[in-house]
Amino acid sequence: MEENNEKMTYTQAVTELEGIVKKMQDPECSIDNLSDYTKRAKTLLEVCRTKLTATDEELKGILDNL
Amino acid sequence: MANDPNSTPQGISLSEFNQRITNAIATSRDTQGQWVRGEIIDMRVNRHCYFELIEKDDAGNTVARLGAAIWGNTFMALAAQFAAVTGSQLGNGMKVLVKISANFHKAFGIKAIVEDIDPNFTLGDLARQRREIIERLTREGVIDMNRELPWALVPQRIAVISAEGAAGYGDFMNQLENNPYRLKFYTHLFAATMQGQNTVPTVMAALDRINNNIELFDCVVLIRGGGASSDLNSFDNYDLAATIAQFPIPVIVGIGHERDVTVLDYVAAMRVKTPTAAAEFLIGRGSDALVALDQMQNAVVASVRDSLARAREQLTYCTGVISPAARRVIDTARTRLDGLAQAVPTAASAHLTAASTRLDHQVELLRNGVAQLLRTQDQRLQMLTDKVALLSPRNILNRGYSLTMCNGHFITDSTQLHEGDVITNHFKNGSVRSTVETIKD
Repeated sequence: MEENNEKMTYTQAVTELEGIVKKMQDPECSIDNLSDYTKRAKTLLEVCRTKLTATDEELKGILDNL
Repeated sequence: MANDPNSTPQGISLSEFNQRITNAIATSRDTQGQWVRGEIIDMRVNRHCYFELIEKDDAGNTVARLGAAIWGNTFMALAAQFAAVTGSQLGNGMKVLVKISANFHKAFGIKAIVEDIDPNFTLGDLARQRREIIERLTREGVIDMNRELPWALVPQRIAVISAEGAAGYGDFMNQLENNPYRLKFYTHLFAATMQGQNTVPTVMAALDRINNNIELFDCVVLIRGGGASSDLNSFDNYDLAATIAQFPIPVIVGIGHERDVTVLDYVAAMRVKTPTAAAEFLIGRGSDALVALDQMQNAVVASVRDSLARAREQLTYCTGVISPAARRVIDTARTRLDGLAQAVPTAASAHLTAASTRLDHQVELLRNGVAQLLRTQDQRLQMLTDKVALLSPRNILNRGYSLTMCNGHFITDSTQLHEGDVITNHFKNGSVRSTVETIKD
């Protein structure tokens, strides 16, 4: 899972994140899963924020050379 | 006729002849101050405005043509009014209703001098053209295609079509690069001419190049200068509109002004008024996404807090439930006992009362029975007494019988006696002592 984070699209990451938030908000959510969910949500939030605000040099290079 | 030198007319100079034409035209009311319909081509402005006014037949062939001029001061006034009403600058390809007077200049020939333009005629014609294009796109089922495309959640990779160095392009780029959320955007400019007759071919070429690299982009932004000289008429083009309508990624069009609408505005996924607004739209998508991320982060934190709070609450609840439950069991038992305790005396007293009543009854019966018994015994006793009295020896003696006794015993049998025994006979009124002489059987 960790290795693939870089390759995730924003849409994939945000979709998975939404799914996790939904699960966590379910009153039936087991307290045993909280830790895993929280960890994954944190990773995904990081992925999403990076996609929005950090420069993707590879993409920049491609467009510059178009 | 011309052979005879004497009869050869002197002729008049061309300028004199032209002057006559000039005079003839100037005095003919039919050619002065007339409202004439036509289409503008080959327009050029050099303080004065010059163009060719033409008429086309239904097949598109030019069937009439006349050079026209709008003199400087008139042009400034008419152009401003025209732009105000139509939202477009006077330009090539426009159908106009102009008030013209024929003017024959002896050096330059005949020209139509424009005195007035009715902008509403052009407005109506532009609207009609746009309507026809829109109707055709609708009929062909493509009008909504671009608008119905899904957007990237955050469009960051943007193909820009604009004139290189245009003020609007600069505004757009500045806005994107200096956005306060530090959102990252990736742009590539596909330069095109954004006014005049080259507009459609260069924009189409740019779209074609974008299409060849379509996987690199989230959307297209079509923006232009922002200068005053707008020639939106160029964008009211069926081919361009159809291409944008069917373009595989959303197109943002920012070519109009406040009151302008071109057909592109009807087909593009997003219409904005200025290049800056286009940038703001994109930044808005990004900042919305950042807000959504913040909200999700808060939701995660809140969920953890809630889950823990819920778990704690559950524990507290369980603890709270156990002792009341126990107490309830005890209470129930106690209540039952109390009930029983109360029920016992009640039941017992009921039993006692019944027993007592029964007992009283028995006593009564007994009493009656005893009395009865006593009475019966009493009567019997009386009877016996009477009988005894009747049978008493005294009564027997009274009836004349006598009682014989010997040595203190009653003698009821002769064998009890022996000769010589002294016996006593008792009578009712005394007794006799005698000695036995003989005993006979």
